[in-house]
Amino acid sequence: MTAAARGWDRLNLFGKALVIIVPIFVVVTFTAILAAILVLPIVVDVAAANLPIVRFFVAVTAILLVTIPTAFIVGYLELKVLAFMQTRIGPDRTSPFGSLQAVFHGFKMLIKEDFLPTRADAIVFTWAPVVVFLASIMTFLVVPFAPGFYGQDMNIGLLYVFAVGGLTVVGLLMGGWSSFNKYSLLGGLRSAAQMVSYEIPLTLSVVGLILLAGSMSLVTLVEQQSGSFLDWYVLQQPLGALIFAVAATAEANRAPFDLTEADSEIVAGFATEYSGMRFGFFYFAEYVNVFIISALFVTFFLGGWTAPFDWPWPVSGDINLGQLGVGLLLAALAIPLIGTLLFAAPFAVSRRRMPLWQALVIGFLLFNVVAVIVISLWAFISFEWVVGLFWFMGKTYTLVFTFIWLRGTLPRVRIDQLMGFAWKWLLPVALINLFATAAALVVVGK
Amino acid sequence: MTMIPGLGIAKGMFLTLRRLFEPKATIRYPEVAADIPPRFRGRLQLLYDEYGNLKCETCFQCAQACPIECIDMGGFDTKGRYHVHWGPAETYGERREESALRRSGRPVPDAGYAHYPEIDTAAVDQILLEHDHDPARMLEILEATQLAYGHLPVAAMKRISFATGAWYAQIYGTATSYGHFRFRADDVEAGSDYLTALGGSLGGAPSERPRIH
Repeated sequence: MTAAARGWDRLNLFGKALVIIVPIFVVVTFTAILAAILVLPIVVDVAAANLPIVRFFVAVTAILLVTIPTAFIVGYLELKVLAFMQTRIGPDRTSPFGSLQAVFHGFKMLIKEDFLPTRADAIVFTWAPVVVFLASIMTFLVVPFAPGFYGQDMNIGLLYVFAVGGLTVVGLLMGGWSSFNKYSLLGGLRSAAQMVSYEIPLTLSVVGLILLAGSMSLVTLVEQQSGSFLDWYVLQQPLGALIFAVAATAEANRAPFDLTEADSEIVAGFATEYSGMRFGFFYFAEYVNVFIISALFVTFFLGGWTAPFDWPWPVSGDINLGQLGVGLLLAALAIPLIGTLLFAAPFAVSRRRMPLWQALVIGFLLFNVVAVIVISLWAFISFEWVVGLFWFMGKTYTLVFTFIWLRGTLPRVRIDQLMGFAWKWLLPVALINLFATAAALVVVGK
Repeated sequence: MTMIPGLGIAKGMFLTLRRLFEPKATIRYPEVAADIPPRFRGRLQLLYDEYGNLKCETCFQCAQACPIECIDMGGFDTKGRYHVHWGPAETYGERREESALRRSGRPVPDAGYAHYPEIDTAAVDQILLEHDHDPARMLEILEATQLAYGHLPVAAMKRISFATGAWYAQIYGTATSYGHFRFRADDVEAGSDYLTALGGSLGGAPSERPRIH
């Protein structure tokens, strides 16, 4: 046995871990510094020369990353709110208040077998969930979350939203057709009929907005509504807002128009043969869709990122932490330690029977809460887009709650009622709304 | 007022909103047990005594006392003579026979139902006396019995079981695990012809040894 092997055997588990991890960290740090010195200037130059492409890639990555927690949050909200409306508690076992339930649903999907039916069209079958998912999340590219905080300000943003949203139908039909199952095919056809029918009143309901705003850019739409809530388009286009809400609910396959996969009645419509993560993507897309229709409603009719009233305390400051220089680095190291000890001290002193480590854990958690609040406040008064994001997310999640609330209240409609409502009521009303808006604009002479 | 469109939806929405803030009906089971009514008895189950017999004597006292008349029972009286039943008339009849063929009333040959033939037990009694009714000397008893009767009759083995206290299943199992016991008068040692032929072809004779059937 060599000296090295003897020395290795004498180490305990922690020591062994250190011996492995520390060299890795040293090598990684060294490589990173080298790369920063040698490669970074070139990368920055290339990126600066191709700014639109970089912006596109950053936006796409951010959107893909943001949709995942969004779907989890909306899914968790749905589980919990529906449970509370049925005087149940809902998920509360997996994590604090069941907050990770939707995440574990996702993991469950990953564990399950990815099944491909015999004689199914494998390529189309695989790509159908991708198309549905992409059609949902590509809308994120133009949604103006906050001033300067959006993927792309297209001058045809509104058209883009509906064009991309319409791709969902293709995905559903692909899924239904490629499953080699007549029930899947029927389910796909049915959902295609529903979505195509509701696309028309949905699109017509916002043409009035285009007339009012004179632009199809979503950012322009929001900027036109800035001021107080009296400037919101929902007051000038109440009928349009109502039609949009109803048609968007049907478009996103939400209750009471969720015939597409009506959980309690048919097997799963177009998704009958889907299992595992392919099925998971359909669900994912559904929850992302709820968020998107809420976000679009907020953008179109509820003023987007603008505050509903003049903020009575116009706090805004420019706290530049960069002035601190090296002090910032030291503060970043010292403040968490000091804060943890500070918050742990009362517990350690006043409760003799509590072990020290428990007091430290409580102190750490309390410090985290306070730190998050402080940092949020700092961001709120320092950056305009944080304020915008705050209002936008507040309004959007209120609407998400409303959609879940609707699902908890209304019974599902029949397919003939659904189609009849779209063609006999929504479409004429949307046309009337459009003509009335146009006539009013002519009379006012805007 | 009912003519106002959307009023029903609004009412429903407010109902669900009120439910949102109501106290919840869920009982978190492992931590909190539900209140059970004091007279709740759980699932009804008949008890067995230490010999494996049902303790129930079909006295119907429980069925009489049942306040919601949920006990419906049938069985034979303690003398095993009459079939008795408590409760409403059976719609489908109590099923006493599992085989649909036998329930149809046709005679069905079943070896398990045929009774074993009687024998003169004097010889086996004498053998048992000689071996002191000792179950530990079971192999000797069985060999002597085969010598006396030519084979091992079921009645003889029943008699041995009764006299020695060993279970019939154990005696039968012991006997069948040896190759040289026969259980019918016309029984030859199982497979002996084949073994002899096999031994002859290999240039030898099969050895005497216990075989497991």
